[in-house]
Amino acid sequence: MDMMVSTLQQQRAVTEQLRREASIKRIPVSVAVSDIVRFINEHEQEDCLLVGFSSQKVNPFREKSSCTVL
Amino acid sequence: MAADTAVVASPEETLESLLREAEALKQKLEEERQKLNDVTLISVAERLEPLNIPNLKMRRTLKGHQAKVLCCDWAPDKRHLVSSSQDGKLIIWDAFSTAKEVTIPMPSTWVMACAYAPSGGAVAAGGLDNKVTVFPLGGDEEPASRKRTVATHTSYVSACLFPNSDRQLVTGSGDGTAALWDVESGQLLQSFQAHAADVLALDLAPTDLGDTFVSGGGDRAVLVWDMRSGHAVQAFDAHLSDVTAVKYHPAGDALASGCDDSACRLFDLRADREVARYGKPSLIFGVTSVEWSLSGRLLFAGYGDYTACAWDALRATRVSIMSGHEHRVSHLTLSPDGTAVATASWDTTLRVWA
Repeated sequence: MDMMVSTLQQQRAVTEQLRREASIKRIPVSVAVSDIVRFINEHEQEDCLLVGFSSQKVNPFREKSSCTVL
Repeated sequence: MAADTAVVASPEETLESLLREAEALKQKLEEERQKLNDVTLISVAERLEPLNIPNLKMRRTLKGHQAKVLCCDWAPDKRHLVSSSQDGKLIIWDAFSTAKEVTIPMPSTWVMACAYAPSGGAVAAGGLDNKVTVFPLGGDEEPASRKRTVATHTSYVSACLFPNSDRQLVTGSGDGTAALWDVESGQLLQSFQAHAADVLALDLAPTDLGDTFVSGGGDRAVLVWDMRSGHAVQAFDAHLSDVTAVKYHPAGDALASGCDDSACRLFDLRADREVARYGKPSLIFGVTSVEWSLSGRLLFAGYGDYTACAWDALRATRVSIMSGHEHRVSHLTLSPDGTAVATASWDTTLRVWA
């Protein structure tokens, strides 16, 4: 009996999980993808690993040079 | 019997009816997802110029651990790093100078998870001790003398994160659960149970609200959780092996997973499906860690084959390979201002790339 109860409870949790998943609103992939592309375009210029540093001086991890210009 | 009452409370539900409903829901989910699958990310990205990114160079090597480095995290000051290791130590590094600033002994070896608090005034770590301990930094006393045990699991701790403030902690464990804890009292605020195997990775949604997080598990599933209700609200189960890494895209509506099957995947939360996959036939080792660049155009991935690489997330092509480690890359993480990536490795070192 105890096993039946726990099987039923487990299955209820699984089904409830699927109900929640089925109830969410979805959007077309085309809309989702264009939003991702737009976000990237808007933030590209701040992305140093993508566009590089405006000058190596602003790269905090640049190679240490033996002398600096003041 | 309490359990019996709970079951009798809804007499219309039988095991058969629940199973039938579950099957129908699964079919409906698949149909709905397919109906909205009108384009592929790759076809949209084909119109974009191929990326020509500056090659990532190894800028620093941090040496000091005596065994495999398992995890690392940047401080909010963009200069310090915390790392945890199989040697049972936590180390706070000055990544600019490569100096070891603080070494904190842990109660056990295999410290699999560590995190900097958002204030920069504390670090949290845990692993085979089944606990997460928070160490306040600064002041004259040793951090270890002021430690506070916050989280306790029944198996190893695989991940820990501070959701937006020093006051709370989210943890993932080999016991199959994730949990939200109050740091001050050590009280369990919410337990998250739906994974059928070890929770291996966690990430927080990049919103100020911080009300959702994602987990990846040994059950090959990625689950998105509502922090308040404790329910899993979305599930992605396309993986062929353990999900070892999860990371939200900076836009907030998508997330990447890394899997032992050697592929990284991009899932869109609003389209509720996988929209891209990053892999090559020549990549045969598992993914150990994933991370995004600041704009979310580059997806960094660490592998068991001693390398890490950067993928163009839109065109799904590999654009940079980071070679230098002499053993598995166990973890990689982006500095808060996006100027550098730190990698941790089983070769006992950490490296900084920029």
